[in-house]
Amino acid sequence: MVSAEPFFDFTSVWSSMGILLKGFGLAMFCATAAIIIAIILGLIVALMRLSSVKAIKTFAFIYTQLFRGIPLYVLVIWVYFGLAIAVGINMPAIMAGVVTLGLLNSGYLAETFRSGITAIDRGQVEAGMALGLSKREVTRTIVLPQAFRIIIPPLGNQYVDAIKDTAILSIVGVPELMRETQQLADLHYRPFEFYTFAGFLYLLAVLTVSRGIAILEKKLSAHSAQTPVNTAS
Amino acid sequence: MNDNTSTTSTGSTFFLQLKDVSKSFGTHKVLDGITLDVAEGEVVAIIGPSGSGKSTLLRCINFIAAPDTGAVIFEGHTWKTFHSKINFLANKRYQKKLTTLRSDIGMVFQNFNVFPHMTAAQNVMLGLTKVRKMSKAEARKAAESALSQVGLSDKFDQYPEKLSGGQKQRVAIARALALKPKVMLFDEATSSLDPELVSGILEEIRRLAGTGMTMVIVTHEMNFAFQVAHRIVFMDQGKIVEIGTPEQIRNPIEARTKAFLSAILN
Repeated sequence: MVSAEPFFDFTSVWSSMGILLKGFGLAMFCATAAIIIAIILGLIVALMRLSSVKAIKTFAFIYTQLFRGIPLYVLVIWVYFGLAIAVGINMPAIMAGVVTLGLLNSGYLAETFRSGITAIDRGQVEAGMALGLSKREVTRTIVLPQAFRIIIPPLGNQYVDAIKDTAILSIVGVPELMRETQQLADLHYRPFEFYTFAGFLYLLAVLTVSRGIAILEKKLSAHSAQTPVNTAS
Repeated sequence: MNDNTSTTSTGSTFFLQLKDVSKSFGTHKVLDGITLDVAEGEVVAIIGPSGSGKSTLLRCINFIAAPDTGAVIFEGHTWKTFHSKINFLANKRYQKKLTTLRSDIGMVFQNFNVFPHMTAAQNVMLGLTKVRKMSKAEARKAAESALSQVGLSDKFDQYPEKLSGGQKQRVAIARALALKPKVMLFDEATSSLDPELVSGILEEIRRLAGTGMTMVIVTHEMNFAFQVAHRIVFMDQGKIVEIGTPEQIRNPIEARTKAFLSAILN
């Protein structure tokens, strides 16, 4: 180590800001696209798990176990390289990354949604059925709106996890924040500064999302809390 | 009187009938061969100890709980539980048909079961728009009139959270009545209420009885049952032990009825 060099030197970080922010933007894009896919798939799988048809239920069970059980590291390599070799599906790295994160998170969200749905009091379903609503209408107008309020906090957590997980996508060459950080750190011989700054950006994103979720939660629960039987007049 | 098919005090119009309805949860037989006639305009109160199957019986009338065996006959239509292991389309068609039966039968629950994410008016409007296919504006008008009838004309846009138990139950009653059902089922409608709110809800039910509504009421309010019902059904362990007019049940034939009433009334 050259003694004249300062211990901390962020000048190379500042001068690489454009690339870093672009990588950060891509990371946020991947996480957001993945969570949207995961919400859609997760909802479908959750409803399948609650189906009365055994085959559908079993499929959904295996689905959740599979995608919750495989490490992201393995899954992304499988989707990017494995699918190309096995069935000739060649995806751009970014797409493979989004698909992988989407699948993984859909496994978790399916479980979250299922617990949210089953948390709704059976009496709510009975009341809807008694009115003459179809099963589908009961689910759509009574169960899901209430379940949605319950699952907002865990959904937010899942989004936060997805943002941090995008770092793993660097292994298949997605030029997101971690990939760019690795390369710039090597280039400038300033790993500590670059990784610290990357950490700061992830933290910033996570704190912002958490805050947003908290606000959303407060707004939605203003008039919808499932209060226990309340007879005070 | 130990005869399940007794004639009724308001005439013999054939209207609603349960025929040999049985249901088990696992190995526990909750309903064991229930047969019961209800005439049009008749008020039938079902009494009996906890766990005797009263609530399940009520749920079998509109198939919210599907009977294992037996049938419900309503306005000349016979309804039986149908489930095919292979023909999912047939199951779907059957479920859809059931919704027409349910929309003619209003139900009020012990725990109110108002929808917490909807205002009082929206609670009432849901069935009107989805089941009766009314426009939003029509449904709103009908909902306001139904809520006004149960004394909630100042609560249209309140969420249930802001309502008392009695008010929630009124919303639930308005929600059921707005669909203009031909039968009303009350499942211990006052059991979750604070004592001072019970009489208000009972008054609503009594008022409804006065309009000639056909009703089946499960209740623990014995005095109310004896006042408002044309006939009283005493159930125990999934079976109808005794049916009769309030006068007849006041002097029961069956020892079990006698024991239950003396325990309750003293």
